[in-house]
Amino acid sequence: MRVEYINPFVESAFNVLKEVLNTDIKRGELYLKSTTMPVLGVAALVGLAGDVEGRVMFDMSKQTALAVASTMNGEQLTSLDELAKATITELANMITAQAVTKLHELGFRFDLTPPALFTGDNMEVSDHEVEALIVPMETPQGKIEINVAIRERA
Amino acid sequence: MQTNEQKLQQDVTAENGRQELVRTEKAITVDFKMVTFSLAGKDYGVDIMNVKEIAKASKFTYVPNAAPFLRGVYNLRGEIIPVIDFRIFFHLPAERKSEDAQENLLIVRLEDHVYGVIVDSIDKVVGIQSSTIQPPHPIFGDINIKYIHGVVENQGRLYIILDVNRIFEQKEEEKPRLISETPSGNFFAAQTAILEKEQPGSSAKASASELEFIKETLFALKHFAASPLNEGWVETRFGEWKKLRNNKELQLKNVEDADEFLGNFYSPCNGRLWDEDYAEKVLAALPDLTSKTITVWNPGCGKGYESYSLACILKKRYKDARIKIWASDNDLLAVSSAPNMVFDLESVPTIYHEYLVKGRYGYSFNPEIKDAILFEYHDMKNVNPFTDLDMIMARDVLSFLDPNEQIKVLNDFAEKLKARGLLLVGQHEVVPEDEWTRLGTEPVSLYMLNS
Repeated sequence: MRVEYINPFVESAFNVLKEVLNTDIKRGELYLKSTTMPVLGVAALVGLAGDVEGRVMFDMSKQTALAVASTMNGEQLTSLDELAKATITELANMITAQAVTKLHELGFRFDLTPPALFTGDNMEVSDHEVEALIVPMETPQGKIEINVAIRERA
Repeated sequence: MQTNEQKLQQDVTAENGRQELVRTEKAITVDFKMVTFSLAGKDYGVDIMNVKEIAKASKFTYVPNAAPFLRGVYNLRGEIIPVIDFRIFFHLPAERKSEDAQENLLIVRLEDHVYGVIVDSIDKVVGIQSSTIQPPHPIFGDINIKYIHGVVENQGRLYIILDVNRIFEQKEEEKPRLISETPSGNFFAAQTAILEKEQPGSSAKASASELEFIKETLFALKHFAASPLNEGWVETRFGEWKKLRNNKELQLKNVEDADEFLGNFYSPCNGRLWDEDYAEKVLAALPDLTSKTITVWNPGCGKGYESYSLACILKKRYKDARIKIWASDNDLLAVSSAPNMVFDLESVPTIYHEYLVKGRYGYSFNPEIKDAILFEYHDMKNVNPFTDLDMIMARDVLSFLDPNEQIKVLNDFAEKLKARGLLLVGQHEVVPEDEWTRLGTEPVSLYMLNS
């Protein structure tokens, strides 16, 4: 992945999470992966098009998703209902949108697709011919992995 | 825990004014017994609770592909146990005995596992009070401090108490790695096998095993894998190395030694802008290309200096073509700084001056060159979408991959290149002749893919 793209994603993830959860969060070591990866349980996916093609995925366990949604809504949610799902989707939207704005300022043109949310057990994700950049974020609510797999348009 | 409690109790009693008694108690309470032995002239001990028995044995059954410190397996009254040579494990000098000679074995038990441990000689059982054990001190440099449980003095001798639990925990993790990843693992194991069978001694064989060991160390310390790609160099270098070291202390003990050994492996101008001399030679070696767009992949670009050098040279050589270089590295920190590199004019060889523009912070390459290079955070072992490349530059990159990965990546290269595509590798790297034709002359290792 082009090095110029990395920081906008890391920064916006950090800033948005910090703001919406109103707490300190820790960024883990970035790394690359290209094999099929397990998905933790709840995955919000935003597609990217434009100068690049690919997608960003926000991956967390069901428990973390509930805790994050609860914090963001200011009430204790007990099941992953419509509200909780909408909240996680919105979070994915906020982070990606901010990253894309930053990239736009640097002169890169990206378009977004509406986020899609996947939930379930034992899910895996694989990308054809693209390696993924993993940005692990540690929050008090649990671990959120931001998984960016994009490539330059040929 | 118990020790602490005891100590606390003693402290309390002492406060009660019965110091006399406590002192005598201290002298006589033996609550830790250890079996003592020697390694390279120093005294060591292990907790007797971990020692099942001691034995003398020889003729261990050799295990192929195992780590060098694993001498083999031994049949202990029907139970097959692995035998570890502590002297090799801790890199201590050990006299090489003939195969029939008896070795001193400590039979160590850890939970369900039984191991044999070879030591120089076994001394006796020493009883001490555990509160007299002092924590290890970093000056016991011979043995990694994490393996030391503590130090204790007894009758004028200093014993280093080893923590066998930790040692074997570590070994379990280490063994599979050594077997599967060590580049010359198979070869090395085979060598040792021969050596052990045929009695070491002949100098050619000793030298071969020295070389194999150096190869292993290079991989462990620098992740430099000796393989057909660089074997010629490694062997020549070993000859030089022997002269350099007067045939003594050939082994690489630390990263500095390994760096010294690899000192002249690196190609000219490694990791910096190519100087005029090398640049001219590359320029001369480049054949005519018909493509309108010249697409290059430069895996392992590091900080990007060489990618810029190549961009300028390609620009010079193919004036009308559009140059596109995909430069990638798996070191995020290094590659991150590559797109915004700034120079002092004096530090840049003059051949590049025509491509520089002055900015606010110093000189940088002009947009034409900058736009020609795209720096990516990418691991070349992973998939990528590159196809129909005109050229690949990977100087001194392949040698630092596992041998299996080297083969895989080299195949990848052939697949991703166009017919008659170019490959620039390190000065001392050689690619298979049946697939590649050499175009460049020393020190430019430029190859063309056979169609």
